[in-house]
Amino acid sequence: MATLIVGVGECKVSNKNGDKIRALTLGSCVSVIAFDPKNHVAGILNIALPDSSINKKRVTEHPGMFANTGIPLLLRMMTKSGYDGKSELIIKLAGGSTILDSNQTFNIGKRNILAARKALHTVNLKPEAEDVSDNYSRTVSIDVVTGIVIVSSPGKGQWDL
Amino acid sequence: MGSMNVKQMVEQRIGDMEVLPNVVMKLLSFTDDDDHSLKDVVAVIQNDPSLTTSVLRVANSAAYAPRTAVTTLSRAIVMLGEKMVTGIAIGSCLSHMYNDSLDGYESVKGEFWNHSLRSAIAAKQISGYALKDIQGDFAFTAGLLHDIGKSVISDFLIGSSEMLRNWLESGQVEDFIQAERNLLGTDHAEVGYAISVKWGLPEILCDVIKYHHQPGQAPEEERGVLYTVHLGDMVAQLGGSGTGSDNLAYKIDENYKDYINIDERNLDLVFLQVQDEFWGIKSEIFSSDRN
Ligand SMILES: [Fe+2]
Ligand SMILES: [Fe+2]
Repeated sequence: MATLIVGVGECKVSNKNGDKIRALTLGSCVSVIAFDPKNHVAGILNIALPDSSINKKRVTEHPGMFANTGIPLLLRMMTKSGYDGKSELIIKLAGGSTILDSNQTFNIGKRNILAARKALHTVNLKPEAEDVSDNYSRTVSIDVVTGIVIVSSPGKGQWDL
Repeated sequence: MGSMNVKQMVEQRIGDMEVLPNVVMKLLSFTDDDDHSLKDVVAVIQNDPSLTTSVLRVANSAAYAPRTAVTTLSRAIVMLGEKMVTGIAIGSCLSHMYNDSLDGYESVKGEFWNHSLRSAIAAKQISGYALKDIQGDFAFTAGLLHDIGKSVISDFLIGSSEMLRNWLESGQVEDFIQAERNLLGTDHAEVGYAISVKWGLPEILCDVIKYHHQPGQAPEEERGVLYTVHLGDMVAQLGGSGTGSDNLAYKIDENYKDYINIDERNLDLVFLQVQDEFWGIKSEIFSSDRN
């Protein structure tokens, strides 16, 4: 039984009974949460930026940093932990917040959400639930056995996603 | 508490605060004064054995990985840069303040320091895009100190987070600063300013603290620095290093464009650089705590 903490640009996957995976506070970062209900494999990828083209060198060190390279990483890690690649995979998105009245440049959150959806689309996946954008920070966690995803935010309490 | 209103209680709390340790004060006085030498900095730090140890430890840490052990202060300071040295001094001499939880913001231990440090790193990066020359080291120090008012105001906000968030969502207030003002008659920028004046910080630092959410109201000659810190603060909040309930509940002042020229791509690059630097130095400054 452990709680795996996912920092910015990281990806953690588990198939161990009793494990939880938790993403550190999300601002404009987007957590892509994956759950394979048949084999009980869960994972969280914490992407910080939409596209790896701004710094190609970083892709080898931190593929999880970017939406376009992070999604394939998440799937590889899920497969390694027992996802068979064929059965149902439940995907949820959380995060991608922005500041009040943000302009386009500073709306990194929105750009991350769009890039995450697009990268999922290229591998034929679609988020089943989303708790994204708006202007507050979030913490998300998933229970490896049940697949229950909980979102919380200071001053707003917590809820299921 | 008798007939004292919140504002008076806040003022009393500020009055009861300890003075700023001398070593920090001296280092801060260097930040807006180009006319000082490495010797001056060494002289200030070597008077404080505990800070000397911290500076040497950071210089020898994995983040800097010197080829040969750093044993002298002057070499350590050259290696770390003055901004880091000032950062270490602030982090360790004011650790009781920065390492406390901000309960009124539902912010846990460590988040306040992380927010301040990330804002500082981001402000330094943003200063590279300023239209007029802004000293990066100064932006760093200002970023580190911009929210000090929260440490005093937090206690008076306990139990109100949900209400303040509701005010915001219903449009009763425009941002969190106004929410604080509505509830308490003052806000963390004003309180921070009062602290900085009490401490006798250089005037420009006091003004950065006062106007960091309203950079356009600062005197014209200070606005370049103000917008730099304003954006650094935003980058830190977006990066997930906020202080709880107020995170992202502020507006960006669009007039930053008159002072800072940054586009989407460059902002993404800043994000990446800030993340790297933050990872590199976070643990190091943390471990220099005196507690
Ligand atoms: Fe602030
Ligand atoms: Fe701030």
